[in-house]
Amino acid sequence: MSLPLEELLKLEPEDILAHNERPKADDLRNKQQIFFEDVEEGMELPKYIYNPTPTHLFRWSAAIENFHRIHYDLDFGLNHDRNPSILVHGSWKQSVVPQYLKDWTLPKGWPWKAQFEHRAMLVPGDILIMWGKVTSKYEKGQMGFIELEIGMMTQDGIESMPGTATVVLPLRDGPDIPYPFVPPAD
Amino acid sequence: MTQETQSAMTPEVRAMIGVSGDVVQAWGVVDAEYLRRFTQAVMDPDPRYWDQDFAEATHYGEIITPPIMVSYLASRIRPDQDDPVTRAFEENPESDGIGSVERPGELPPVPTNLVRVLNAGNELEIYKYPSIGDTVFFQNRYSDIRERVGRDGRAFLIITRETTYKNQNEELLCITRASTIRR
Repeated sequence: MSLPLEELLKLEPEDILAHNERPKADDLRNKQQIFFEDVEEGMELPKYIYNPTPTHLFRWSAAIENFHRIHYDLDFGLNHDRNPSILVHGSWKQSVVPQYLKDWTLPKGWPWKAQFEHRAMLVPGDILIMWGKVTSKYEKGQMGFIELEIGMMTQDGIESMPGTATVVLPLRDGPDIPYPFVPPAD
Repeated sequence: MTQETQSAMTPEVRAMIGVSGDVVQAWGVVDAEYLRRFTQAVMDPDPRYWDQDFAEATHYGEIITPPIMVSYLASRIRPDQDDPVTRAFEENPESDGIGSVERPGELPPVPTNLVRVLNAGNELEIYKYPSIGDTVFFQNRYSDIRERVGRDGRAFLIITRETTYKNQNEELLCITRASTIRR
């Protein structure tokens, strides 16, 4: 059972981790479509919970060739930039967003748009909760548009990435969402 | 804005709005090995990234790649350029590892004496997942520059750099916008 974000934040950190809803490969392979009609305002998306370690940060730096020392050089981070530790990359958080929206809209919806800010320094040991909540919905051009509030919150309830997103879901009796995606004309 | 506040939006700054860089071809192509490393690092196990038979039976009809993976492909250091990492540390042993690393396709700097840079946020628009084998072309543009006044009464700038990514068939892949505060 998916816990509401508010309830999740009342738990001890180790208990928060037990509520991780990040899907496995087979979950994504067998994902059932959520249709526009299934969605209601106030509905919460599954919570993706992360507990990044220095190794996760190093792997991300290497994957995207980001050489900024604040992400992997603890001595530099502490003594040069006076950071509390090495820092979780904003670029990693940014890359989780389209994944999160993709997963929710699979297999035939579309993660169209997102915007967000970066706040707070996140460090290894933090528990990070990627969350989303439906704020409104509307039909246009035989497609279902869902407006979301999104964010990545720490175990202490600090919002590190407040933002919004727009995703597109098929109507139950509607056509497939076009791919490549073409938004309807205004 | 009060009379005492000196505007940061000079004619020279305003003239930068809409300035575009060259269309740049990213080094290499979208490939399965880069896809593997990227998706493992972002921790996305989706079989649409690696199971050919399954991927071909999906809505997309092929292996897909994460939409903004191409933004990191575009910032790769080309092997035919001088090694900027080594140079950065030769010039400054205390280099932060990124400040002197030149990336292809950069825009001319905004002419302002506001030097402190803060990340103000990001926007993504996604239209098509890049395909394995795609060549990626990108172009930067200053899409917006706005002036605001801080609580200290000083003007600052919010500069938005938009980057458009297309493939070799001129298909739009995604648009990213990164806004920075200059104080």
